[in-house]
Amino acid sequence: MAVYILRRLLLAIPTFLGCTLVVFFIVQLAPGGPLEEEIRALKMGSGGEGGGISQQAGSVTALPQDAMDILKEYYGFDEPLWKRYPIWLGVYPRKIDRFLVVPGVARNIGDGKSVIVVQNGSNYTVADAANPTVPLEGWKVRSYKNDKGEQKLQIYKEKFSGILTLNFGKSHKYNEPVLNLIQSRLPVSIQFGIISLILTYTFCVYLGIQKAIRHGSPFDFVSSAIVFVGYSIPGWALGAVMLVVLGGGTGIGLFPLGGFQSQDYDQLTLLSKIGDRAYYFVLPTISFCIGAFATTTMLMKNSLLDNLSQDYIRTAFAKGLKERRVIWVHAMRNSVIPVAANFGHIIGIFLAGSYVIERVFNIQGIGKLSFEAALSRDYSILFTFTVITTSLSLIGSLLSDVILATVDPRIRFK
Amino acid sequence: MFFRKSKPQSDQKIPTIMQRRWRKFKSLKRGYLAFRVLSIAYLLSFCLPILVNNQALMISYNGQWAFPAVRAFFVELPIVGLIVSSKTYQGVTFGQENNTSECRYRDLKVQYQQQGQGNYVIMPLYPYGPRDIVGAEGVKEDVFSKPLASTSDGGFRLFGTDDSGADVFSKIAYGFNISISFALLLSLIEYLIGVPLGAALGYLGGKFDMFMQRVIEIWASLPLLFLIIIIVSMTKPSFGLLLFLLSIVGWVGITTYMRAEFYREKAKDYVAAAVSIGIPTWKIMIKHILPNSLVPLITFFPFTLIGGITALVSLDFLGFGLPPGTPSWGSMISIGLDHINDGYWWLTIVPLTAMFFTLMLTVFIGEAIREAFDPKVFSRLR
Repeated sequence: MAVYILRRLLLAIPTFLGCTLVVFFIVQLAPGGPLEEEIRALKMGSGGEGGGISQQAGSVTALPQDAMDILKEYYGFDEPLWKRYPIWLGVYPRKIDRFLVVPGVARNIGDGKSVIVVQNGSNYTVADAANPTVPLEGWKVRSYKNDKGEQKLQIYKEKFSGILTLNFGKSHKYNEPVLNLIQSRLPVSIQFGIISLILTYTFCVYLGIQKAIRHGSPFDFVSSAIVFVGYSIPGWALGAVMLVVLGGGTGIGLFPLGGFQSQDYDQLTLLSKIGDRAYYFVLPTISFCIGAFATTTMLMKNSLLDNLSQDYIRTAFAKGLKERRVIWVHAMRNSVIPVAANFGHIIGIFLAGSYVIERVFNIQGIGKLSFEAALSRDYSILFTFTVITTSLSLIGSLLSDVILATVDPRIRFK
Repeated sequence: MFFRKSKPQSDQKIPTIMQRRWRKFKSLKRGYLAFRVLSIAYLLSFCLPILVNNQALMISYNGQWAFPAVRAFFVELPIVGLIVSSKTYQGVTFGQENNTSECRYRDLKVQYQQQGQGNYVIMPLYPYGPRDIVGAEGVKEDVFSKPLASTSDGGFRLFGTDDSGADVFSKIAYGFNISISFALLLSLIEYLIGVPLGAALGYLGGKFDMFMQRVIEIWASLPLLFLIIIIVSMTKPSFGLLLFLLSIVGWVGITTYMRAEFYREKAKDYVAAAVSIGIPTWKIMIKHILPNSLVPLITFFPFTLIGGITALVSLDFLGFGLPPGTPSWGSMISIGLDHINDGYWWLTIVPLTAMFFTLMLTVFIGEAIREAFDPKVFSRLR
């Protein structure tokens, strides 16, 4: 078992890399990235002087070249495309603490320190400004020509810093580390996910069993109709209907129009806090559940029906066992296998949130965050979200197989 | 009846398995009824330009005749539409003063009746079109009119109008045709990619299979909706682009099914027999295995259809779907939710109900097909 899990985890690595690679390149190649947005914002800010006076031939932008370079470096666009991915992963050194310098002139690098670059033929060494004879460790020097053809000298340090070192970057829209953003948004989505998952499983398994036992009865027919109604309408669409009919706007005002807690939530007592949460949770939770509801119920029903027509059930009845025991002990043990195995696949869908449902109910969850990030090309958030969803999906499918082996004694891993 | 039962030619003839399945399908009342309703509605929806349109069926003006709606009907037909070019008639051509943009046919009808010079206009059954919005000079009451509200020219709006004064019923009707066409084409493309690929993977196996399995795994874990949003937002959205994007996403499901099916069938004796008498591989795959793996393909179809409709509606709802102005259910729901606090309930409820009924009919068909193809009869002892 341990060997199997280890092998699956190893196989997950290329999938993870491939998945993030595809997303990384599509997003990076798409126009309208943060750099272009920033340039546009800066141009708008200094737009009063009229952009037509740029004298340099071949250059359309009115921004100074140095400012452009700093922006490019800030977003990592100065590196060639193929290098950006390993840098983002953290397996290729990232350039940090970059400063443009002039040889022989001291340069302040913050913290009250300053350095000086000493030219030695074609070699450069970086030294402390107070003591120019002793070179400083860790600094590198790069001499390059910028787009205008001017010779520039830059000093920098190198550091492995990427998602493997848990550096998820900074959101350019919120100007905050992505981890903080995710930390503030994830709990809401996870709460919805876990509650929906528990509700779906308890309710669907029970309903499926009842439907199988009473196969062909009016109860079976009516509940089938309801289940298919649920299947025919996407969760967010059902949410929209419920908002219109039951919400505060045009409807009867039974439930709030969106959000996930009252404005005075922090002042409430514990009991009314729970009540408040429940009040806001009802409609979104129903929308979340409805998607997996029909499939799980029918899976449970068909699987139990399948087992009930098997010979070993006939034997169990023949030897005089009570119906309760035959169904709940003999048949159930074999019937929950496919339902349990489906758990892993569903878990990813629930935990990653749903941008559409979160949009309908105006919930500040992770789905909405990443949807907005996709709109504003907030690279760091998008890539982090990709990492989360990919990992969840890979873990989910592994979990499914492990559950399958645990509940079904016939399956052995080799 | 839509499909007439043919008389059996002789009593000895045993029906083929497909015939038996078809009979079983027809005996399932709910599914068969849903099948007939949906297919008739879809075929009928191609006649929408002559049934529900703001363009006139026929105009007689000073002895000259024109048929704008009939022309629109031919333009919107699948293949004929490529030959016939569309044409907009200016208002001035028919004596509508100072109107060089498209003719307002309903006003023209009133105008002719008042003039009484023998000119006449025949409007379609429901004289409001999906793109027929209130312009700057239009009547203000036509925006947000309630369901069944009567209009100034004596007609009525079945499901009211939306924020731009477009008729909700005609948008629903045209949106139905677009949704079903989109889903059908999408499923077709997915099948065209998924079936051969899945068959090759399952039958040939080997390194190619190993490699493609990884690709499929990657594909299945991608946040594809985001990628679609990014790609759509940097290009001009169109029917074809959406079809392309959703089909490069959708082939994975059907490929996996086909692969499993071919993998299982390959191990059976009849395949070994076919190989041993020297039948070429492609022939074994197409003539021998494919007919035996059709069951999941056919039972899967209604559900790919549902997936296609839902995907299009969701993308439209988020604003990354068909180009603005196209009558689509998703954008209608989005408009409705924007006005959720203003009491215009029909803007949300009507498109949602339309989508719900369409999807429900499809689910019924799917369930019936599954039952017709499933030889299992549940029996239990008490």
